[in-house]
Amino acid sequence: MKKRLFAIIAMPVIMIAIMAFCLDTTNKKSRLITAKKDSIASVTAFKQVYTVLTSARCMNCHPSGDVPLQGDDNHLHKMLPQRGKDGRGIYAMKCANCHQPTNTPGLRMPPGNPNWHLPPADMKMVFQGRTPRQLAKQLIDPNQNGHKDTKKLIAHADDGLVLAGWNPGEGRTLPPMSHAAFKKAWLTWLNTGAYAPAK
Amino acid sequence: MITLNINKRTYNIDADPETPLLWVLRDHVGLVGTKFGCGVAQCGACVVHLDGEAVRSCVTKLRRAQGKKVVTIEGLSEKNDHPLQKAWLELDVSQCGYCQAGQIMSAAVLLNENKNPTDQDINYAMAGNICRCGTYLRIREAIHLAAELQGKEISGK
Amino acid sequence: MLHFSALAKFGLAERGIDTAAEWHEITGYIKITPDNVIKIICPNPEFGQNVMTSLPMIIAEELDVDWKTVVVEMGPHDNTKLGPQFTGGSNSMRMYWKPLRQAGAAARNMLMQAAAQSWAVPVEEITTKAGEVYHEKSGKKGKYGDFAAKASGIPVPKDVKPKDVKAFNIVRHSQKNVEGSKIVSGKPLFGLDYKHEGMLIAMPVHPPAFGMKLKSFDASQALKMPGIKDVFTIKLYEEGFEQGGFDTRTFNVVLAVVGKTTWQVMQARKKLSVEWEPAGDTKDTMQGRGGKREVIVPSELESTEKQLEKMREYAGKPAQLLRKDGDPEAAFKNAAQIIERTYNAPFLAHNCMEPMNFFAHVTDDKALLVGPLQAPGWTEPTLSKVLKLPPDKIEIQMTRMGGGFGRRAYGHYLVEAALISKQAKAPVKLIYSREDDATYGIYRPMYTATYRAALDANKNLIAFHVKGGGIPENAVHPNRFPAGAIDNYLAEGWEIPSNITIGAFRAPRSNFAAAAEQSFLDELAEAMGKDPIDFRLDLLKRAKENPVGKNNDYDADRYAGVLKLVKEKSGWNGAEHRQFSRGVAAYFCHNSYAAHVVDMTTKDGQPYVERVFSAIDCGIVINPDAATNMVQGAVVDGIGNSLYGGLTHKDGVVAENNFHSYRIIRMHEAPKKVEVHFVQNDIDPTGLGEPPFPPVFGAVANALYRSTGKRYYQQPFSSPQPEKPTV
Repeated sequence: MKKRLFAIIAMPVIMIAIMAFCLDTTNKKSRLITAKKDSIASVTAFKQVYTVLTSARCMNCHPSGDVPLQGDDNHLHKMLPQRGKDGRGIYAMKCANCHQPTNTPGLRMPPGNPNWHLPPADMKMVFQGRTPRQLAKQLIDPNQNGHKDTKKLIAHADDGLVLAGWNPGEGRTLPPMSHAAFKKAWLTWLNTGAYAPAK
Repeated sequence: MITLNINKRTYNIDADPETPLLWVLRDHVGLVGTKFGCGVAQCGACVVHLDGEAVRSCVTKLRRAQGKKVVTIEGLSEKNDHPLQKAWLELDVSQCGYCQAGQIMSAAVLLNENKNPTDQDINYAMAGNICRCGTYLRIREAIHLAAELQGKEISGK
Repeated sequence: MLHFSALAKFGLAERGIDTAAEWHEITGYIKITPDNVIKIICPNPEFGQNVMTSLPMIIAEELDVDWKTVVVEMGPHDNTKLGPQFTGGSNSMRMYWKPLRQAGAAARNMLMQAAAQSWAVPVEEITTKAGEVYHEKSGKKGKYGDFAAKASGIPVPKDVKPKDVKAFNIVRHSQKNVEGSKIVSGKPLFGLDYKHEGMLIAMPVHPPAFGMKLKSFDASQALKMPGIKDVFTIKLYEEGFEQGGFDTRTFNVVLAVVGKTTWQVMQARKKLSVEWEPAGDTKDTMQGRGGKREVIVPSELESTEKQLEKMREYAGKPAQLLRKDGDPEAAFKNAAQIIERTYNAPFLAHNCMEPMNFFAHVTDDKALLVGPLQAPGWTEPTLSKVLKLPPDKIEIQMTRMGGGFGRRAYGHYLVEAALISKQAKAPVKLIYSREDDATYGIYRPMYTATYRAALDANKNLIAFHVKGGGIPENAVHPNRFPAGAIDNYLAEGWEIPSNITIGAFRAPRSNFAAAAEQSFLDELAEAMGKDPIDFRLDLLKRAKENPVGKNNDYDADRYAGVLKLVKEKSGWNGAEHRQFSRGVAAYFCHNSYAAHVVDMTTKDGQPYVERVFSAIDCGIVINPDAATNMVQGAVVDGIGNSLYGGLTHKDGVVAENNFHSYRIIRMHEAPKKVEVHFVQNDIDPTGLGEPPFPPVFGAVANALYRSTGKRYYQQPFSSPQPEKPTV
């Protein structure tokens, strides 16, 4: 009888201990995610992020209008393909009509990706013309960023289309820093509190 | 060996899978209705349907077409009587004619998705198809006529 | 002598007509079967102006057949039977109008004679109607086919009286394009579509810049590529070869890659290792009326910036006098006001939708060539010399052309195909990629022109001076309007030689002259306080009633006629058109008159030509709807070239080598409406391919002025305009 009482009391104690241990590790993880809120480090990191997101390889598919941009000089995409409802173009001018699953070899040939598209019409995720402050706030707002939470935002750095920016095809300049450097800045920005610059 | 479904027929193609579909059609299958105009997806003379979408065959590789339905101008209709083909003849659209297969194939996707396109819709859909002879006004009119003919066919008039 | 081309066989079989049917030839243009199938041969190759319909219409009209029963076939190259067979210069209708009417009328006459003989009645009692023959007196009747065999043995009568032009049933009525259904169903029609048993594909590799030549090449990697048969050089002309006007070739030595399929050859080209070097000054020997002459082709690797500088330099030097009336120097000295403006336009590439290509099968004793070509008669002598084959052993078949615009009058690509076939010892189709084509040359020249006008104290126009220049030739037509309308007139021209090859481009010279002159006249009218149309009509009145000089190359009445017609149809000064910025221009070239009113608005911040009114005088309009199509196309082409077209060079390299950089007008940039009106008269027909094109440029410039308040002096008009419109 005493043995059973011991077991009955011990089980929850053990369970609590285990739970405490788990909580303890969860706390450790949280510490990794929200390392330490640091508005200065965050904003500094975002300024780097901003240079990438407003470079041609990213901004050209985040235009303010309904026609993608093209080239290092961000001119309106020749032939004026339209965004369409789902961002994949319309009629005989859909993105995938010309943009193949991979880059078409050669100068001025269409770059490629299996998922080539613009943001949809109901959530345009515009980069063009955004100030750093505006862009930072937009990026972390789930109602404007494609319904992404922090976890999804972190994962987005390795999204296929994002990575395509660093494999743009012959004759196109790369973003102003390597993908690794961009990812570091991106994560730093997010992890230190995702602060928006003053302007 | 890659098997293709073109205009409802099966073809076995012995070519490099990287070969653009345009050259597979023209050189291997012998369907020359699809034209070579630029090779860089700028002019639209090479447009074919891949599972109903207007792809530019000069940059679309053979392996992308595998397992999909390819339709060329030769297979757009059984008796060359698609409403667009009829409208093109009714309004005598063509001058040299070289771009017209591509124009029709692009317009066909427009009419599939929009039964009553406006001039603006036509501009959006057809901005990628160049006509060096300048028959754009007639193409526009023919698309409107084809939409009308299509409407009549659907309603059985 | 019956003749079938392989192409024709294909077409006939396609139409369910037994190719083994018995054809009886009645004159070189007409063949009739016993079953009354009427085949009419089209002499001129087709590039979109629909001669394949309109030329046979002329024959069918005089022959008196039902157009619905007519089968049209493209003729073989046979200048003896089928005339000059030159498609270009807007000359097809003009050159063939009388001969084809005669051919049709003569054939009808021969059939009537055959019937008369068969029925043993006088031929005067025979009548015809729509392919049938009647002897009303006896009630006998028959079909043309019944008498075709007999008719083909009757000597062809000369000077048969043709129909009254007011009684046409076929001509002057719109007929559908005879190849329309083939076009929309993707049938093989074009040179690029032609196939021949055992045919190989060849593609050229030409120097990357004007003024360069081949130094050496290493094909070892290319030859390992799948499907590749051979890589070698060809040399077009031997030293001292006397070139005719259409023998122009940019590069005399070209590399050829030969293989089984197009893609294989395209891939192999990329694996070539080629070294190029400056060609230095070279020499071309040209045929001429006064005997041969040598032309130095300069060596410089040209750049657009430098070309413009050089043109400015030359514009200030003395030039060749082309025409002088009265005393222009004195008039300018005494002028109360002088207006001077300089206009510039760049090189233009034809960029026909179908890239250059030709099939050749050359053996030791004969040659067969098939493909798109405007003038077989001009290239055959060259082929004969180069291949060392007599002309009767050279057969040229003309396919439908995916655009011509003058480019395909220059047969260098036939010579190339033939030499490649000869060396490869195989039938070969030579194909140019778009880049090969766009960078090859034979461009519309780079032009400039300075216009000066002198006004007296009462704002009367007392003197007019045009000094035009170009690389490598100028665009001055000294005897065209307004010469003949102004007492003191001076026209001068200069040119700068270049290694950039040029050739006929839809209304050569006129395509710039009209732009510059018609813009200048607009400025003059404004300075004189006159309406632009009335100003021109006043000048034309002077040219009609009291012309200056003798050699005025236009009919002032007909020129005024198109201006009046366009004024009327456009409602020129009507209040209801105030929303538009209107520009007008008119011109006479290639024997026809054209005037346009261009109505411009703004769309998405860009100038947009929303509608155009066109008035044309080309005499009798043979196929009204097809003619309307031609004018509409020329208008769209003119808007596109004036706003967007242009080529630039850097160190001899062409910058715009495909449609991503060479801008062609597209659907959304084309007008909503182009309303075409023809002057109704019974004058013998003249052409329509070129005449409507040049004045479009001027009308667009004038509309741009009304739209923006600025004058446009530099084509393309979408490019940055100079601060000052002077040299």
